[in-house]
Amino acid sequence: MTALGWHLSEKEWTEWLRVLLESGIAVIAPVLGTTGTSEFQRVGSAEEAAAPPPSRTAMSPKKFLFPQSEVLFSFDFSGESATLSQPEMERGRQLLVGLRPCDAAGLRRLDEVFLSEPEDPTYSERRQRTVIVSQACTQAGQSCFCTAVGGSPSGREGADLALTKLEGSGDLLLEPVTAGGEELAAPASASWRPITAEDRAQAARQAEAVTSAITREPLPPNAPPILASSFDSPAWAEVADGCIGCGICAYACPSCSCFDITDSGGAACGSRCRSWDSCAFSTFTRHASGHNPRADQPSRYRQRVMHKFSYFPAEHGGEMMCVGCGRCIDLCPAGVDIHHAVLALASGATLRVQARSGVKA
Amino acid sequence: MTKVELRGTVEAGARWKPRVVAFTCNWCSYSGADMAGTARIGYAPNVRLVRMLCSGRLDPIFILKAFEEGADGVLVSGCHPGDCHYVQGNLYTRRRLEVFANLMEFVGIDPRRLSFAWVSASEGVKWSRVVDQVVSQVAEAGPVGSWAVLHAPSTLAPQPRQPAQPPRQPPSEEEVRQTTLNLRELARRLLENGEVSRIIGYAHSAGGMSAAPAFIDTPEDAERLAWSANSPGNLTAYLSGPNRARRPGKTAVVVKTCDARSLGGLLRENQLPRDEVVAIGVSCSGQWSGGRLAAKCYACESDISPLADWSVGAGGIADGPHPGTARAVAPDPRDAEIAALASLPAGERLAFWTGEFDRCIRCYACRSACPMCYCETCIADKTQPQWIPAASSGPGNFAWNITRAMHLAGRCADCDECARACPSNIRLDLVNHSISRSIERSFGSRVEADPAAVAPLTTYRPGDPDRFL
Repeated sequence: MTALGWHLSEKEWTEWLRVLLESGIAVIAPVLGTTGTSEFQRVGSAEEAAAPPPSRTAMSPKKFLFPQSEVLFSFDFSGESATLSQPEMERGRQLLVGLRPCDAAGLRRLDEVFLSEPEDPTYSERRQRTVIVSQACTQAGQSCFCTAVGGSPSGREGADLALTKLEGSGDLLLEPVTAGGEELAAPASASWRPITAEDRAQAARQAEAVTSAITREPLPPNAPPILASSFDSPAWAEVADGCIGCGICAYACPSCSCFDITDSGGAACGSRCRSWDSCAFSTFTRHASGHNPRADQPSRYRQRVMHKFSYFPAEHGGEMMCVGCGRCIDLCPAGVDIHHAVLALASGATLRVQARSGVKA
Repeated sequence: MTKVELRGTVEAGARWKPRVVAFTCNWCSYSGADMAGTARIGYAPNVRLVRMLCSGRLDPIFILKAFEEGADGVLVSGCHPGDCHYVQGNLYTRRRLEVFANLMEFVGIDPRRLSFAWVSASEGVKWSRVVDQVVSQVAEAGPVGSWAVLHAPSTLAPQPRQPAQPPRQPPSEEEVRQTTLNLRELARRLLENGEVSRIIGYAHSAGGMSAAPAFIDTPEDAERLAWSANSPGNLTAYLSGPNRARRPGKTAVVVKTCDARSLGGLLRENQLPRDEVVAIGVSCSGQWSGGRLAAKCYACESDISPLADWSVGAGGIADGPHPGTARAVAPDPRDAEIAALASLPAGERLAFWTGEFDRCIRCYACRSACPMCYCETCIADKTQPQWIPAASSGPGNFAWNITRAMHLAGRCADCDECARACPSNIRLDLVNHSISRSIERSFGSRVEADPAAVAPLTTYRPGDPDRFL
């Protein structure tokens, strides 16, 4: 890496986004929607992308690499011969900006799943034309727990370029993380000021302030093996108390990668589609015979927790399949809290005992 | 006509001819069409018949499926009232389709696309007239062709939701605290005496909710119970269906007045025996979040449901339903929003609702949070046939949200849990509430807590509104 980073004014940053937009790159950024929450959307102007709303988006940005539903191919037997056709895909590059470091890290977890052999062709194709700009957090929400799972509010995992907004001046520090990021910035960066030591010091101070604002405690380092030995713990039923079996947690999650395949249409023509799936659904494991090896909600919730905090780390050098973004906690209609659940399981105490000591009237 | 043919008409452009799918009952209308044929009475060739044993068999999802597959219009036809081969099938369907037609109108589907008729086996002439009329109506409405047509971008400015002044004040912290203590006291007593084996209530939550569902099985654990001015979650959803969390013996459940209506519904629909559930009514002054009163609470007249076996409030514990003194109510803000939508042109309404349903991520939280969605296998999970496209896309999202709304018609307890659970903030509350209001207008009945009350779509009256040609 030759460049160490640049110090941009807001104007320069917006200008660069405009140049990228005009060059035909699809820019995707958090945009405040009509219902008061923000969502990642393709934006039409640099101004929209330059000033993302402060609130975390309700959904993660994963749909831009791994769409909620996509047609894999269509078939048609109605003519003389059978024809298979693949849907037209966009070919242009896309730039994801305004991702929190947890979101960028979540996409990296998806890379682990989809880019390891056998590689997923459509994911890989989208990934190759995507550049990710993460932005250091300036505040921590009450459900944030990236620091509990090895992340940081100023982390760079999964990012091609890392952006830090300086408090006070509103200027931005843009630092290349990968060669792809540097390459994208190269044409414009000649006119940008280099980062100074003072800039770095301020960025570090800001990062520290946000880190210390995260109140959720770290998971014990031996959480994965403890979980692995807790498969039959009665605590699963307690931590999943109330889980109603909807798909919100998996769909909002930046690192959940499960999908289902369905054929639609008729015998003569139709299409094969893949759509997100959730381990919380009873249909996720239901056999054709009707038998369901995960017969109840606690066993499904256990799968969710085990996959993220035990099975995945065991195969990926301890890395968890949870980046601590907290979306599942905020959105759960039944108040299920995955951070609380893992802590309870890993500490060996049951949730009920723990909660009892901490509840005020 | 195969699906391919049906779809093929979409591309026809200038050669477009309306395609109408007609669902006819075997005994009258199908025979009526046959009569027209044998008597050589001509009628528009644009109609394709689907024969059913009775118009009562018509599930509104058939109509949605026909539109999804490219039909431009749908006609439903059955025996005249009083002539049903099965005595009353058509009278039930008359009610159901009245509600469905009102819903379609509310979401902005052109009413010319949906027609109903009574045609007897001897009315070949009437059949011919009806088909000609329906086809010319559909021709005027133009092609649906593809659901892309339904995705005209909405020109509606986002409407800030500013409900009127709430009729009540939120409870004081002291009232909430006393209620919590009394709730724990009652819970301890019920568990100690062995009167119940589990209490489903609320506890303080570490996560995003002010009060989350909690299952309490021991007297000591009763300390976890809590009441808050914002205690969302309709806990009767844990009494039956896939989320059933009852234990052997009796299970007590903490209910607000709205939740008790779904308890009444579950009892009415025989989903659990009355003597296995103990309803703990908590004195509720409405659900308050961020200083705002939930819309469903404005017009709520009683702090305790008549179904309560126990009443718990800040003042104490009482046996049976003991509501507080009469309290102030105000018009339901949802009614004003529904009226505002209803006053828009149909195209605008359709744009609004397709915009709403476009945000659906098919997480099915609406279904999971709903006490009345207790089916072990939901129609959305059926794949043979796949009634509702699994993909999160225009047709699938529309079919899912409308089908769920219709399955709840006349059963919905109006607790708005689906809208609260929805991570995309789709206005499901307005969909369901508009159906409740349409049922009230058409049949003069509303969903009651009383399990003995008859659900509006499980009955009929001879003088019901009749929009059949």
